[in-house]
Amino acid sequence: MESMASAAIFYGVAALVLGSALYVVVGKNLVHSAFALVAAFFGVAVFYVYLGADFLAGAQVLIYVGGILTLLLFGVMLTNRIYNLNLRSGAIQVVPGALSAGLVFALLVWIIQSVEWGAMDSGDPGPTSEAIGRLLMGDYLLPFEIASVLLLIALMGAAMLVRRRGKSGS
Amino acid sequence: MSDALQSLPRFLPELILMGALAVVIVADLLTQRRPLKNSTDLLNGITLVGLLGALVTSWQALGAGEAQSLFASMLADDGLLGVFRPIFCLTSIVVLLLSMRSKELEGVRLGEMLALLLTVTAALMWMAGSVNLVMIYLSLETVSVASYLMVGYLSSDRLSNEASLKYILFGAVSTGAMLFGLSLLYGMTGTLDLYGVRAALAEGTFGPGLLFVLILVAAGIGFKIAAAPFHFWCPDVYTGAPTPVTAFLSVGPKAAGFAILIRFFYLGLAEPAGGGAIAPVGGADWQMLLMILAVITMTLGNVAALLQTNVKRLLAYSSIAHAGTMLMAACVLSVEGVQAIAAYLAIYLFMNLGAFAVVILAHRVTGSFEIGSYAGFWKRSPLLTVAMGIFLFSLMGIPPFAGFLAKWYVFAAVINAGLGWLAVIGVLNAAVAAFYYVKILRVMVIDEDAGPAPALAFSRLDLALLVLLVVPNILGLLFWGSLDRVTEYSQTLLELG
Repeated sequence: MESMASAAIFYGVAALVLGSALYVVVGKNLVHSAFALVAAFFGVAVFYVYLGADFLAGAQVLIYVGGILTLLLFGVMLTNRIYNLNLRSGAIQVVPGALSAGLVFALLVWIIQSVEWGAMDSGDPGPTSEAIGRLLMGDYLLPFEIASVLLLIALMGAAMLVRRRGKSGS
Repeated sequence: MSDALQSLPRFLPELILMGALAVVIVADLLTQRRPLKNSTDLLNGITLVGLLGALVTSWQALGAGEAQSLFASMLADDGLLGVFRPIFCLTSIVVLLLSMRSKELEGVRLGEMLALLLTVTAALMWMAGSVNLVMIYLSLETVSVASYLMVGYLSSDRLSNEASLKYILFGAVSTGAMLFGLSLLYGMTGTLDLYGVRAALAEGTFGPGLLFVLILVAAGIGFKIAAAPFHFWCPDVYTGAPTPVTAFLSVGPKAAGFAILIRFFYLGLAEPAGGGAIAPVGGADWQMLLMILAVITMTLGNVAALLQTNVKRLLAYSSIAHAGTMLMAACVLSVEGVQAIAAYLAIYLFMNLGAFAVVILAHRVTGSFEIGSYAGFWKRSPLLTVAMGIFLFSLMGIPPFAGFLAKWYVFAAVINAGLGWLAVIGVLNAAVAAFYYVKILRVMVIDEDAGPAPALAFSRLDLALLVLLVVPNILGLLFWGSLDRVTEYSQTLLELG
């Protein structure tokens, strides 16, 4: 009974993610699309909970739903005349596009079915944040530091692009 | 934690670069507030000192001490990293000197460019050393982001912007594909460590799934080394980017891409088979995949280069062709192939950067990158023409120049591995390549300039730069000694783990 309910919730959330992701792509109104993106990101956080990744689920909500999307919405709302703007690019080459997308999908399904995945028996899900913290300061110290270098130059680059634009006045 | 502390002495070149990065950022901020009379020289000087420090320490580290894994098996400080570190440092030093002389970058604040150059040099070293899937992805992404910014540095220039945008779009797709492939590989093997991946793959056959992973990862690496059919960004980005950046892209990321290729395929997807040879594991025939890529890349690069009239575009296609030649050596499946790639890159660095140096110096006076604008250069500046001739003959692989030695290493490795047909295709390609290199020289020496043009004058820095780049190409055969040291050391590559 419990697994039935669990499966029902999973498929419900999966439908929500797929539906809202589709709306993000085909929706005409930018604000509506942004809100649909909230639903999609939130559904992905639910998937992480299903996988026993509590820290990842929290980070997903905090960073994607809380941070990136809020910024995006602010950007949309503070921009003039964006409500009437039709941002959809014209659909060209629908048939080849659909064909290749379908092919990739079939290929992925086939691969996922045919490979013997090295699945791990997770047992009872427990809190993971302590282990993640230890790994980041231990075995994964170097990737952690390199990620900070990457963020530093990304920040610098963003500042560089914005400032140059401002200076040239265009 | 103690492991990290013990790793630090073997991490000295990267630490020096990161220190110089911090100093450059602070100095740039300070001089922005209160500009000094020679603040550009100051920033250039700090960067040069940092790069020279990294070069000296990495040269000293070469051949000193056993191969060792660093930071809990994130990096392997072995022969491969040892050989590639000086290559990256030298590339960045030459690019720094070129950027001081480039007309395109004149009057542009270079603080960020220098910071990016230092970061990307360290990130290239991380790429060459990484033996963990997370490290491979992170270092590759750091190199990519820094490269996008360097390509789009001239934000008032439309071509530079367009090149940067194209580079980002292609880069995002190919690193995305690679990341997807790496995640599938993690799902199959349950480990991020390349040695663990090898052990897990050796225990079973994975069939089509593994082949799919290989294609996705090859797309990511192929983008970095500009191998066909992942090369479409290359001509446009090379044309639009500031020329010193183009010179950098044609050597630095390409070399690091080959290092990752060797790490991923030779360590992660193959096991030692005795006598320096390796054998693929997991039942995926990646040797065939690399051979197909090598043939397509060489042929396409050389044939497309024949049609070019812009020298930057021509050098873009020529760099694609050189990537194909090095891919041939990657099909060898033994340490001999790795040595050939390392030797080729060490020589390619001098000949290709040399050609770009001439292009930059010529641009100072002609203001053009069209090959036609080089007409009458023999009369205007015999020195520049002779230098260009040496670089081009070296790129062709004609003795006694160093490029011949590079090609010799590759073809010897390919023939020794019993891949004679591949070597034949390679030789045919080298013959085609001679056509378009000679075309440039013909314009410089034979074609007459339309009107009377003044003789060209060069500063002392220009002359020093040309000498620095010409000498290794002429004295190629004297390189035997130091190359032997390099290749001997790279034999330790397959021993670790």
